[in-house]
Amino acid sequence: MMDLKAEVTGSVWKILATPGQTLEAGEVVMILESMKMEIPVVAEHGGELVEVCVTETDAVAEGQVLARIKL
Amino acid sequence: MDKDTTEPSPAQTRQARLDEDYARRRDQALAMGGAEKLARRKAAGVLDARERVDYLCDAGSFLESGLFSTSANPADRERSPADGKIAGFGRIQGRDAAIVANDFTVMGASSGATNGRKIGHMKRVATQRGMPLVFLGESSGARMPDHMGSRGMGTLLGNDGAQYQRLREIPWASATLGLSYGSSSWYSVMSDFHVMRKGAVLAVSSSLLASLAIREEVDPQELGGWRLHAETTGFADLVVDTDEEALDAIKRFLDYLPSHHNEAPPTRAVPAGSGRGMPNILECLPASRTQVYDVRKIIRTVVDEDSFFELKARFGKVGVTGLARLGGKTIGVIANNPLVKGGALDVDACEKITSFLVLCDSFNIPLIFLVDTPGFVIGTEAERRRAPGKIMNFMNALSLVTVPKLSVVLRKSYGQAYLNMGGGRNSDEMAAWPTAEISFMDPQFAVKVVHGLEPSDEGFEARLAEMNRGNEVWDIASIHAVQSVIRPQDTRDYLLRMLEVHELRLTRGVGQHLMRAWPTSF
Repeated sequence: MMDLKAEVTGSVWKILATPGQTLEAGEVVMILESMKMEIPVVAEHGGELVEVCVTETDAVAEGQVLARIKL
Repeated sequence: MDKDTTEPSPAQTRQARLDEDYARRRDQALAMGGAEKLARRKAAGVLDARERVDYLCDAGSFLESGLFSTSANPADRERSPADGKIAGFGRIQGRDAAIVANDFTVMGASSGATNGRKIGHMKRVATQRGMPLVFLGESSGARMPDHMGSRGMGTLLGNDGAQYQRLREIPWASATLGLSYGSSSWYSVMSDFHVMRKGAVLAVSSSLLASLAIREEVDPQELGGWRLHAETTGFADLVVDTDEEALDAIKRFLDYLPSHHNEAPPTRAVPAGSGRGMPNILECLPASRTQVYDVRKIIRTVVDEDSFFELKARFGKVGVTGLARLGGKTIGVIANNPLVKGGALDVDACEKITSFLVLCDSFNIPLIFLVDTPGFVIGTEAERRRAPGKIMNFMNALSLVTVPKLSVVLRKSYGQAYLNMGGGRNSDEMAAWPTAEISFMDPQFAVKVVHGLEPSDEGFEARLAEMNRGNEVWDIASIHAVQSVIRPQDTRDYLLRMLEVHELRLTRGVGQHLMRAWPTSF
């Protein structure tokens, strides 16, 4: 299992993947907004998206777990 | 009667005896820690200290200093060839360098009186004669029991007050190629360039001693492995898989650097194909002002073909730092990378850029800034990590730089980060692409702060359009606060020419080195 964490404090703008989906390495799972920039949250490794821990418009802190991937 | 010519003369006999004795002693010294230990290393795919020196130096150029040295402790004399640290002078790609290579097969390359004298000699000669110093680190730390007790301490430690002093007169390059504790670690973190091989460990002291001190099991890789130093401490400028790659990296680093601080860096031929991507460089920059991209594509397009040598690529990734060549001349590149945190500069990036400014200024390397940042990361975590102090260290370093500083704003340049990235008189020339936007804060925030309007309020869009127009590059260019607005495809030609304009003619390319005594890590 691998946690996808927020690299920056901001808010969840768009969630692009759904639990149960198979992700390729490099696939964008969601996009955060911070400093008026769109920050993609990318799956470093491929696997199954097990859980999305946030919803759109949620505020997130740096290091917060956003989603879990089963490798 | 004719003299028998086959009979050796007394001088020849003496010579033969001397040669035989010399060969026996030399072979003993070259045997290092013995065939068994050397075979174990070879089986593990790790080079021994002499193989490392041979790989690093031009063939036949290594002149050893202290081949016949041994431990000063009579009890260890026979089992301490070269006292576990091989020292000498060799040529690295045609240029002289002083080298210290730890031989872990001899008493764990532990530090003792004799090998301490060898290191001191290398440092002294390299500094006085102006040549780089290379440390190949792999040492168990202070030798026991030599260092034990007050007499041991008084004898072995503190007798050279300049042992850990750096004034950056010459480049230091180091590699951590195994377990490295004590002074081997100190020299690595004090170096201008430090490469780690995966599997190596750099720490204050061994995991065994750490476990004894804090009464819990400590994993060596967690204590000082490559991931820690590449991603968390930033002590590793580069991580590689093999000894050979580490030594190649040292050769490459030194090739960008002058041999000492009183000369300009060497110039190399411009590789064919350099600049070929310039007509299409705008493809690297998204059309949307809020989308991210990897600024390293732009760097690689602008600089000489295959010349970008990124440092600390896994640490403070918002800021990209690396050596490169432009028109064959060494340059230092500092860029914001919107791919990470949208380009908002964090504390790690500040420290990384500060140390890179110190490196480049100390060794006469002109600096190019490629700017695209929405500002500094703000918030409680940044404040807890001492962001104001780090931002000002960065700013102070920038203001003390005396090598040419050229900045190019690619897209965003906001707030204090505008100054830190060379805005205004903080660079010698400031250029901007027509895509640049410059202001104190993002226009979306500014409409709220200045006009008190939310995006849902009437009049917000009109005010935003007004703000966006005011942030365009043409206003700042009209008052000559940006000296040149350049088309993206002309960036390489502009920088080539501007580097010529700003050549340090009065001092033959040599800066003032105002940060030569700055910390060796931040």
